[in-house]
Order: sequence, then structure tokens, then C-alpha cells
Amino acid sequence: MLLTIKQLQVKYGDQTALQINSPISFGKGERIGVIGSNGAGKTTLVKAILGLTNYDGRIITDLQPEQMAAHMQSNAYVTTMPIRRIMEMVLDTRVKENKELQELIDFFEFGNCLSKRFPALSGGQKQKFTIIMIMMQKAELTFYDEVTSGLDFETRQKLMEKMVEWYRGKEDSLVIVSHYYEELEQLADKILLLDRGRVVAFGRTDELFRTYCGDAIFILDNNRVNCSLTKEFRTLRSPNHLLAVSCRDREEEKRLLTILVNHRVNFKRSNSDIEIMSINARERFYAQGENR
Amino acid sequence: MKQKRCNWKMVLYELRNINGNFMTHFFGIVFPSMMTLIFSKTIGIQVPEAARDKVLVSIVLSMSLVIPMSIMFIGYGALYSQEVEHEVPLRMRLFGFRERNLLAAKIIAHMILMTAAFAIFAVFQMITMDIPKPAASSVICLLVSLYLIGIILLVIAHSLADIFRKFGITFGITMSVYFLLMVLTGMMGISTEQLPKALQKVAATLPMTYVSNDFADFWTGGSYNFMPFIQSLLFFGAIAGILLMYAQYRNRRT
Repeated sequence: MLLTIKQLQVKYGDQTALQINSPISFGKGERIGVIGSNGAGKTTLVKAILGLTNYDGRIITDLQPEQMAAHMQSNAYVTTMPIRRIMEMVLDTRVKENKELQELIDFFEFGNCLSKRFPALSGGQKQKFTIIMIMMQKAELTFYDEVTSGLDFETRQKLMEKMVEWYRGKEDSLVIVSHYYEELEQLADKILLLDRGRVVAFGRTDELFRTYCGDAIFILDNNRVNCSLTKEFRTLRSPNHLLAVSCRDREEEKRLLTILVNHRVNFKRSNSDIEIMSINARERFYAQGENR
Repeated sequence: MKQKRCNWKMVLYELRNINGNFMTHFFGIVFPSMMTLIFSKTIGIQVPEAARDKVLVSIVLSMSLVIPMSIMFIGYGALYSQEVEHEVPLRMRLFGFRERNLLAAKIIAHMILMTAAFAIFAVFQMITMDIPKPAASSVICLLVSLYLIGIILLVIAHSLADIFRKFGITFGITMSVYFLLMVLTGMMGISTEQLPKALQKVAATLPMTYVSNDFADFWTGGSYNFMPFIQSLLFFGAIAGILLMYAQYRNRRT
């Protein structure tokens, strides 16, 4: 295990920002997606692991701070020189002498930005700049905290495609904090779901999906016809405009599929939808809490 | 990634960083030479011939103090407070740089710039002013004093930036302190003896007062009682140390 968290509590004044009671472990080579709404404790968790905030409890790891790399929500640099100079100092190398770095710069199509100063970069270019240096660190554990926040849809999509492509087939251990479910679906194989500083769910994405959603789900528009067609099936919690229908097994799935096709209903099938899984995990978490 | 130690690349980076700050160059290099020229042409010609050499030396010594005060205090304070405000030191820490290594690189880079500023200042004085040739020991004493004062001022500016964490506040405070120090230590044309008694006592705790007022006495050689000057240096250093400790306490993990 790279890291184990036991009985962690982070407080800001009187307010508990994060409370982890059951042990959580991050294994080597795992890609952990941390998800939750604002104030869930995602960034607090990253800061606690990086030693940037005080906490009670234990974070057990053999990793030294310099063996962890982190892309924080805000990453600022001096504005007095071209970013090539900053990059060369941080990485203790020279761009023209380092083939690996050149490859990464080309991969992110960043070459023409090197002579610019940091404030002259666009939002996406600023993120790429830090990502390139983070990737060059080759840390044992890398954190990406809201890498795409503040970026427009197209830039966000392109950046994520690049990151997914870069990490494909590699064995880097990642912790990816994001608001965007689709980003985690592409990058993470484990999910840590936080809400109001508590751990709602933690485990492999497919296992969590089976626990909270079943074998597969069908997502349809939420209207009277669709509700009527699917009334004999189990429906899950979902955003108001959608109807999420759960199937326990293949037989049930075939049956629902036949109905939907016969009635020419548009639908999306998924066995890894993190958004629906999160909504239902959260509901069950609080329902169990109320029962207790 | 290994933890980064202070190396020449970090020093070069800090030199480039300083190079991008116009205020450091103007106040640290142009301003002292310009002021020396103005004071020597205005005050210098008003004094009798017999006292002129000593007055000109005093002006040069006073203006040489502007170099560490501008580069290490005003310039550094302005540059570093902007970094702190934008959390650049945190970003560097996450890249494996320790604060003490970054501070060491900053001090070395600023000392290199200060050395260049002294050289330019000296050449400028040699060309434009006719002052007596100093004794080698006096030059060494002056340079050591100026470097020590400069390091202490840099630590104070660093601490103020870490305490207030805003460029505007830090710059306002360093500028106010800068002009206050200039008035108290006789660098603004008012000698320390002309100040009220209470302010004279305050001035006596500042090492700049001794450089500005007394160092002219042994410019061409001779003896001087360094004890009050050393005591003021220790006092000034202690203030810097206390401020640095307070800044670290304030910025401890919460």
C-alpha cells in the first residue's frame, strides 16, 4: 500500500471539514477519483496528505513529501521571466537537452508557449504548463485537484483526452479530484465519494456501481410515457429531468431493452455511470444514518 | 523527484526574477548615484574648502547605504510579497523546494546584484567626484557592514511579506520604513544631531547611523571604536530574527 488513512479528522476552527473513520488505503498503481460537491472535503483531504494542513489521526505512508506531486486548483508562478526559464529551474534540466521533456511538450502542443510569460498563457495553457512539470516529476503518487475547473467545455475535453492518452498503459498512482463525473469515468478505477466531510463510499468503480445501481442502468427522459413503460422495473435516484432504470441481471436488461426498442424510446445504457451511482450512494448513506 | 537544494540554477532563476523588477534597478542602481551627484553639487559647494572632502565622503557613504536599503529591502519586499500574494512559494514547495533553500538562493542573487550595484556606484563616483582615496581597510569595513545590513534588511522584508501576505501592505510598510530610516540615519540631509533627543536615541540603535555619520572619520585610515556599531547590528539583527520567527509562527499549519 502506498498510503493508509486512519481515523482522520481535519478541523477549521470549530467546523469539521473532514472526518474519515474507517481506514482507507491507496495502493500502488491505483487511480482514485475523489468526488463530492463543494465543501465535501476533497481538497482538504489532498492538503492533509500533502502536509499542508493540520489533522488529527494517522496518515501512514513511506512516501516523503517530494515523492508526491500535486496539481492544485490554483498554480501560480513568477511573472518576471518566460516560462521556459521557470520550467528549466523547477525540473533542473534544459528543454533542448531533455528528449523526454521535449516529447511531453510536443504531446501537449505546448512548444510555442515556452517563450511566453505565465500571465500571457490561456487558462488551458496554464493547466498544461503545471501538468507537464507534474508529469516530469515521475512521483510515486500524483494528485490532480480540479485540473479542468474554469476551462470551457472544448478545452476541458481536449485536456482530458490528452491526460487519458498519456496515462494509458502506464502504472502511475493517481488521485484525481473532480466535479466532473465523465472525467473520473475516463481516468479512475476507484472512487472515493465524500459529502460534507464524510466518506459516503469508497471502492472499485464497478463494485460500487453494482452495489448502488445493479448490473446495468438505462437512462431515459423523465416523462409520463417513459415512466409508464418502465413502471415494473426498479428506478434509481437521478437528476429530475432523467429517469434511471436499474437492471439486476441480463434477463431483466433484455426485457427492458425490448420494451424500449419496441416503443422507439431514446436511451443510454451504462454499467459505469458515476453520477447516478453517487446520487444513490449518498441517499443510502443518509438513509442508513437516519435509521441508526 | 529529489528534494531541491540551493544550486546555481536557482540563483540564476532568482537573478532573472530580480531582473524583471524595474524598482530594484532604479532605486538600487540609478537612484544612489543620481542622489550623490545632486547632493555633492548642492551641499558640497556650500561648505568651506577645508571641510569639503569630509562632507563629500559623508555624502558618498550615506548614499552607498541606499543600495542595500533599496535592493534588499524595497526591491526584495516588492518582489517577494507579490510571490506570496499569489502563493508562488507554496507551488515551489510542492515541487520539492524547501523554504530555506529558496531563501538562500534569493539572498545570494540579491547579494550578487548588490555587488554589481556597488561596482557601478564606485565607478560612477570615481568618474564624477573628486574625493580622497580610501584606505583598503576602510573599504573592507564598509563593504562588510553594507552586506550585513543588506542581509538583515532582506530578512525583515521577507518576514513582513510573510506576515502581511499582500503586496500593497508590504510595499506601503517597507516604503514608509525606508524613508523613516533615511531621516533617522542622516541620509536626507538632516544630521542625527539635529533630531529631537528621543529620535537620536532611536537612531543610535540603527547601524546605518554609524555608517552614515562616523565612517567618514576613518575613510583614509585611523582608528574607530566599532563597539556601538556592532551592538546596533546585533540589535537590528535581533529585530529581523524576531520578525522572521513571528512570520513562521503566523504561517504555521492551521
